[in-house]
Amino acid sequence: MRISVNWLKDYIDFNVSTSELIDRLNNIGLLVDEWEETEEDVILELETYANRPDTLGHLGVARELGAGLGAYLRPKEWPLIEADEKTSDLVDIQVSDETLCPRYCGIIIKGVKVGPSPSWLKKRVKAIGLRPVNNVVDVTNYVVFSTAHPVHAFDLAKISGEKIMVRRAKKGEVLKTLEEEDIALSPEMLVIADSQKPVALAGIIGGENSSITEETQDVFIESAYFDPVSIRKTRKKTGIQTDASYRFERGADISFPPQAALMTASLLSQMGGEAAQQVVDIYPKPRKNKTVVLRNHRISKLLGMDIRRDFIERILAKLGFHIENKSPESWQVKIPFFRVDIDREADLIEEVARFYGYDKVPSVFPPLKDVEPGFDQKRARINELRQSLFHYGFNEVLNFSFSAPEKEVKFHTGRAAIEIKNPISSKASLLRTNLMDGILENIIWNRNRGAGGVHVFEIGNIYFWKNEKYGEELRLALATTGMIEETHWAESPQETDFFHLKGTVEAFMSKLRYEPFIFKEENHPYFEPGFSLLLYYKGEMIGGLGLVRKDICKNYFLDEDVWGAELSLKSLFEKQPQPFRYTPVSRFPCVRRDISFLADKDIYFQEIKEALEKLNIPYLDRFELYDRYTGSSIPQDKASLSLRFIFCHPRRTLQAEEVDRFQQRIIHTLKTKFGFQLREGG
Amino acid sequence: MNDLNKRIEEYTKKFKKDISEVRDKKSLQEVRNTYLSRKKGLVTHLLRELKTLSPEEKPEAGKRINELKETIQEELQRVEQNLESPRFTERIDLTLPGKKRYLGSPHPITLFQQEIEDIFVRMGFSIETGPEVETDYYNFEALNFPPHHPARDDWDTLYVTDDLLLRTHTSPVQIRILEKKKPPVRIIMPGKVFRKETPDPTHLPMFFQVEGLVVDEGINFAHLKGTLEVFLKTLFHEKIRIRFRPSFFPFTEPSAEVDIGCTLCQGEDKQCRLCGGNGWIEILGAGMVDPQVFKNVNTDPEKYSGFAFGLGVDRTAMFAYQISDMRNFFENDLRFIRQFLQK
Ligand SMILES: [Zn+2]
Repeated sequence: MRISVNWLKDYIDFNVSTSELIDRLNNIGLLVDEWEETEEDVILELETYANRPDTLGHLGVARELGAGLGAYLRPKEWPLIEADEKTSDLVDIQVSDETLCPRYCGIIIKGVKVGPSPSWLKKRVKAIGLRPVNNVVDVTNYVVFSTAHPVHAFDLAKISGEKIMVRRAKKGEVLKTLEEEDIALSPEMLVIADSQKPVALAGIIGGENSSITEETQDVFIESAYFDPVSIRKTRKKTGIQTDASYRFERGADISFPPQAALMTASLLSQMGGEAAQQVVDIYPKPRKNKTVVLRNHRISKLLGMDIRRDFIERILAKLGFHIENKSPESWQVKIPFFRVDIDREADLIEEVARFYGYDKVPSVFPPLKDVEPGFDQKRARINELRQSLFHYGFNEVLNFSFSAPEKEVKFHTGRAAIEIKNPISSKASLLRTNLMDGILENIIWNRNRGAGGVHVFEIGNIYFWKNEKYGEELRLALATTGMIEETHWAESPQETDFFHLKGTVEAFMSKLRYEPFIFKEENHPYFEPGFSLLLYYKGEMIGGLGLVRKDICKNYFLDEDVWGAELSLKSLFEKQPQPFRYTPVSRFPCVRRDISFLADKDIYFQEIKEALEKLNIPYLDRFELYDRYTGSSIPQDKASLSLRFIFCHPRRTLQAEEVDRFQQRIIHTLKTKFGFQLREGG
Repeated sequence: MNDLNKRIEEYTKKFKKDISEVRDKKSLQEVRNTYLSRKKGLVTHLLRELKTLSPEEKPEAGKRINELKETIQEELQRVEQNLESPRFTERIDLTLPGKKRYLGSPHPITLFQQEIEDIFVRMGFSIETGPEVETDYYNFEALNFPPHHPARDDWDTLYVTDDLLLRTHTSPVQIRILEKKKPPVRIIMPGKVFRKETPDPTHLPMFFQVEGLVVDEGINFAHLKGTLEVFLKTLFHEKIRIRFRPSFFPFTEPSAEVDIGCTLCQGEDKQCRLCGGNGWIEILGAGMVDPQVFKNVNTDPEKYSGFAFGLGVDRTAMFAYQISDMRNFFENDLRFIRQFLQK
């Protein structure tokens, strides 16, 4: 809202510098976003709030500023040059829908000479950023931006049958607006009509068929109060927002229509017209002012300080509140109609606080008592997970939750995506059902900017419909491609691979104690068949990892191998991890046995591992694969596997003979079950 | 006797220094001669002087001199071995770079969000979260936005159905928590929120918020100020200027906005890219919980009061790190993200 400082001075006297003025306004909650000093005026760009339609005019801003500066509003006179006739003699006004139009006022000004406005008026109109049109239009704008109350001018000659009807639109009716746009009307919309046709969309915009032109002589001025919700619905449906609709939608002052009509009539009669006698005022159910009880102790309690009674009373009076009754403890306050935002005691306390000054309220740290300390397991786990990923060289990314159908379809997630009714663009028309898309975008972005390797992860929700209910699932996606930095002069550069990815997954699963977890070579929609593992914990599939499918990568212009994983943290975190357990370290030496075998290449290590675990060899602390070799020195279908077994006894030194026995059991099992051959020297 | 002990100590120190300066065999031989030469060696001298001592003093002093001699011999041998090893024969430039470990970097938003969370957790707040796809009731109605109220226009909303939307703020979590938890309540609610905004340097259709809520008997506006001042001074620095000014939010009354003084221009630069010239940066929205919100969760507003606040993580991070374009956060350029390894 543009505010002219000169215009404010029509209502109150003040003499402060621009910067002080801005400070004062900010302190009472009228935020000045920008300002501009012109030769003779200062223009402020004021941020206004949806609940304060009274500040959408200079009068309301002056009232606030006056209360802040200690000045009362100066009363203004609106003298009329009157004609002989009464408005009601010249036009018949009927309101058929009192709900949508609780009050309707009108006045006729005869013999208006339409022409350029006087220079003072042009100045005002220009100050708020409008272009002067003619005196009638400029006067109506002047009234709106003075009082925040919209008025509308009709060319009386174009009103058929001397009849103004405030009614709902009929199906099929059309109104051509001042902007030359045809609006299809419907019965939930309120219109102003003459005996034949709609001439305005009530409270929003006038019709071209009744507009003021150079030829206009007699003018009908409408000054009404329209139902805010109805105005809002019509505004939304038609997409037409005007200065009038903006104010009516937020709530006009229902006590004000006669004054706004008189003010308009006075200004037009000063420009050569004659006002008909008496404003027609149709107000079948006059409303009563709200009253709110304000208790002194509640002010202290809510603000944390005492404020003097005389200050409270003075501020309320300056803001236009009327104290009807008071006791030592409370006030009964009558709320003026222009304050649509005040309903409850808390609202009045805010009025007191904002003029007292938020800066004068003390700062006190609240007593910290009696609150159970909450501990969020999930957040703690996410954090541990992130630390593991950082350790393995994965960088955290955050992508938008939006996606597009053509992107989602490529991942075959089997999830029904949630569509957005009013998306910002077709590229963001639904919510993602996977995280991998964003990750692949991140990879190509960084590759195109010279990154030798990209290793990234994201933790975030996917969204979907499930059995007609919406769902969210927390996921983790990670991917690695290209070189593993940092390059070092003493080492040869290393490329990432599947086992870097898998090692990372194993590391955080183990760190979070989700053990034992199992990998199975099974297909996953994102990954190349045969290069795809699924991860299971406690029988549930948690996610997959593998080589991202080439046909998916192609969409991102990614030629290189991308190793990726996507897991459901929701599924994982719903399950209990193993409790942490400490095992005393044996004081006795452990025995190490290294055994090498020749094995068929197509035997899964997972099977070997499970078979060895099932053996339950006593005192076998752990075993690991420390070498795997394929090549010219062994048959083509074979691999040489070197396994290391560590045996420890908690209470004594193990005898070589007993370890030999365990070793024989291991060799026997691997030979018979998998056809392993013992290698020489192994 | 005292004189002898003093010299033993002196030689021990001097030898340490001398041996540490040895860089080649020649200097090693010089050190050896200085201490152990049969004629002029310092230790040889000491041994000779033993004779002059009384029989009671002799064994103790002899032991100490021999210890020194052994130490010297061992050290000489060790250094000699070192000088023969390839490390010394092929000299290595120790100023060559050390081995770096490639560590992943956190995303600046997560990092900054955690910084904010940590401050509140230290003040005794717990962390709560809620769904990102919300109902109209939790996002608006329960927070005292009546249906068709123009205030809704200030929260440009992305809708899924008439009743389902992408939450425009983390405030719905307030309602969800107050519905199931009796006061006292002291929580923060971080999370992702959405607005119907076309991306530009200062607006995005998705961003992160941290919401806070304190409800108890006797909570007042002074407590709101006190809490937020401690928070802002911890997050930025002790001397930051803080301004509370009246504002409007349907779910708080009285409402406030909290600005901090521009640290880039101190309010001096009318063209300042950070504050736009007015010297202040809007950081937080806050206020006392509206009585209607309490009624909506069956809590007696006469008995309980509370305050709520919210801040944009992205916006605040932009200010803290002086990042001029919010879109940088979601480009996920590793050259941008990896700078935060050092944060
Ligand atoms: Zn600045």
